[in-house]
Amino acid sequence: MPDRTIRGGMTFTSLQFALFVAVVFGAYYLPPLRRFQVQLLVLASLVFYGSGQPALLPLLLLAVLGTYLCLVLAFDNRAVWMPVGIVFNLGLLAFFKYKLLFIDPAAVHTTGVAPLDVLLRLPLPIGISFFVFHNISLLVDLTREKQPPRLRDVFLYIIFFPQLVSGPITRAGQFMPQIAPKRLFDVDLVEAAKWILTGYFFKLYVANNLNEMTSYMDYPLYETVATPDRWLLVFLYSYQIYADFFGYSAIALGLGLLFGYRLPVNFNLPYISVSFSEFWTRWHISLSTWLRTYLYIPLGGNRKGPVRTCLNLMIVMTLGGLWHGASLSYALWGMLHGLLLVIERPFLRLLGEAGPVVRVARMGVVFFCVTMLWIFFKLPNFDHAVGYLSGMFSPTDNPNPTKLYRNMALLYALPVLVQHLGIGALLDGRLRRWEPYLYGTLAAMAWLEAGADAAFIYFQF
Amino acid sequence: MQSASGLPWLIKCAGAAAALLLACGLATVRFGAALQQPTVTTRDGTIITLNRYLSEPVPDLVLVGSSVAWRLKENYFSRPRVRNLALAGGSPATSLGIIARQTSLPKIVLIETNVLTRLPDDALIAKFSGGARSEAPFLRPVRTAVAAYETWNHTPPDPAAARAVRDRLLSEPPSSFDNKVYLDRAVQQMNDEDPTVPTRVNVARMQELIDEIERRGSRAFLLEIPFAAEIEHSRMVNMSKAIVHAAFPDRGRWLPIDPPRGELRWADGVHLDERSALLVVRAIESALAGRDR
Repeated sequence: MPDRTIRGGMTFTSLQFALFVAVVFGAYYLPPLRRFQVQLLVLASLVFYGSGQPALLPLLLLAVLGTYLCLVLAFDNRAVWMPVGIVFNLGLLAFFKYKLLFIDPAAVHTTGVAPLDVLLRLPLPIGISFFVFHNISLLVDLTREKQPPRLRDVFLYIIFFPQLVSGPITRAGQFMPQIAPKRLFDVDLVEAAKWILTGYFFKLYVANNLNEMTSYMDYPLYETVATPDRWLLVFLYSYQIYADFFGYSAIALGLGLLFGYRLPVNFNLPYISVSFSEFWTRWHISLSTWLRTYLYIPLGGNRKGPVRTCLNLMIVMTLGGLWHGASLSYALWGMLHGLLLVIERPFLRLLGEAGPVVRVARMGVVFFCVTMLWIFFKLPNFDHAVGYLSGMFSPTDNPNPTKLYRNMALLYALPVLVQHLGIGALLDGRLRRWEPYLYGTLAAMAWLEAGADAAFIYFQF
Repeated sequence: MQSASGLPWLIKCAGAAAALLLACGLATVRFGAALQQPTVTTRDGTIITLNRYLSEPVPDLVLVGSSVAWRLKENYFSRPRVRNLALAGGSPATSLGIIARQTSLPKIVLIETNVLTRLPDDALIAKFSGGARSEAPFLRPVRTAVAAYETWNHTPPDPAAARAVRDRLLSEPPSSFDNKVYLDRAVQQMNDEDPTVPTRVNVARMQELIDEIERRGSRAFLLEIPFAAEIEHSRMVNMSKAIVHAAFPDRGRWLPIDPPRGELRWADGVHLDERSALLVVRAIESALAGRDR
């Protein structure tokens, strides 16, 4: 079994995290502590965050308190303080995420001004892309209410530990009304268990095992891989990134349910999408929804004519790409997705009522394009991504090519395929009585067949 | 996901998980790790290689080293009782340390000294000390199934067939693979790297371990596997060689080999291709035969 301990912090797959959740869960439903459930979750979330990046806890507190201050002031003057709060949050995001474009982190003296140098040398705060989006949602949604929410509720919404690091990005309007005293009796333990077991299975069995193979996509290892296997690896990465992020999101959702909070579903079988616009309603749904609500619609959406609609799509998707990181690869990835959305728009109505053969063909085209674009995700260095792409179309006569076990690759990718082929529908029907045994098997397989420990891909964002 | 009735569901779920774990645990007790499971990572391969070394009779000849020696496959040797414990991405002192911590030693240990920039892996040495194997308590069902399939599908050839394959490989011309891109990159990397500190650590550890195993009746030889000419002249190789030869000045400690250099080919100037590895193995066997005489 792999060692699932990550030095310097708790990840969802570490033993420490399991103990942490057990302790918090036990305390959370103790009758004497019921009045302090929100405070307990806030404290637990701070412990969770601090275990990974204690030096950045003050920054997290600053982000929350700064946002809260703007929120309270916005009740007096929304026109001023809401934009100020948004700029404050976008400034934080831009500073930490994009500073490396302008400074050399290895330099001992960056500016010569000590406090600024300390800031410049701080690492990228874990989950900043996610909690900044929560903050903006809070400022936009709640400043329309009659009175500001309580500070402790705001803290919980922003730093609730199941969603703090990688989402799902929950809208304030969805989360805040759920803040109320919780009773153990009301918790749907079976549903929580299903989400958690599914999540761990997809992460440990699928994603971590595929990661061992797709690590050969990294530069310069991919040069040792034969051309057909370079193609295989791209498709394996497509399954891996889905299993990794779906796994994370499922665990987060299950954990949320344990504490009485329903987080939004983040994935809905994205690889059966028949169009790129459908793909974005099935992949990282919480981000797509956020971008649509807070960026695409304010830009005018599709209400200002076809040209402006296309421009809006390109802007939103390119910024969505850059949200992942400051690199040309991410920008190009977003831009190309935007371009695909623009190109398909005129054809959507024409192909809308086509038969099953055309639908399957469209699924294949969408899956192929999405998969090819993941290369820019896997290799954020643009030169490496282009090198990999060109290597897929040129034969290699490397005398010692890397050996990939294709049968093993298929067995590890199989759960994604089976899930997309509709096993869920079977379980809801005739096979329902076998469901607990299936989930038990998933749990055992996740442990027995776990691949070497690897961080969740979206932790870097 | 829809909800179902609580406690019975959870009990059935836990029962199924426990039953599968129990089945895999019992299968491991019954069959052990006899099936060599496919390795995807270097670390997996290392663990399997070392487990196999400890579970089988002590061989006559053991080769330790880095990824350079790792290319010299055991089946290239004409003598049967050979084990290659070279660790890709590792130090020769790691395998040597593990060998020295076993009760029985091989007759001869060949130590490749080409790459000494990786420090000895003390955790791995401790893990495999005193005959202790490192096997998981539960077999991995998918990997075991794949291992069974691979074993069934790729039965090792009998010695005569294997010899014929080797002879055919040697009768072919050397590879025409153009490795310039990879060679240039390797040269640059080897000119950038300063091997002094790890090489000194490795050499000191090797001196201790060689003394120890020779005191217990084993014989150790140092071995240099040829690199491409451009790599031989790199900063890292020159500095590393100077340190090792200063520490081991006795010419009798070295096993000089003389493969046909004009026929050797490397994927990147460092790692031999299959035919070249075979030629080097022949040269090693020839040099060992000379020592025997």
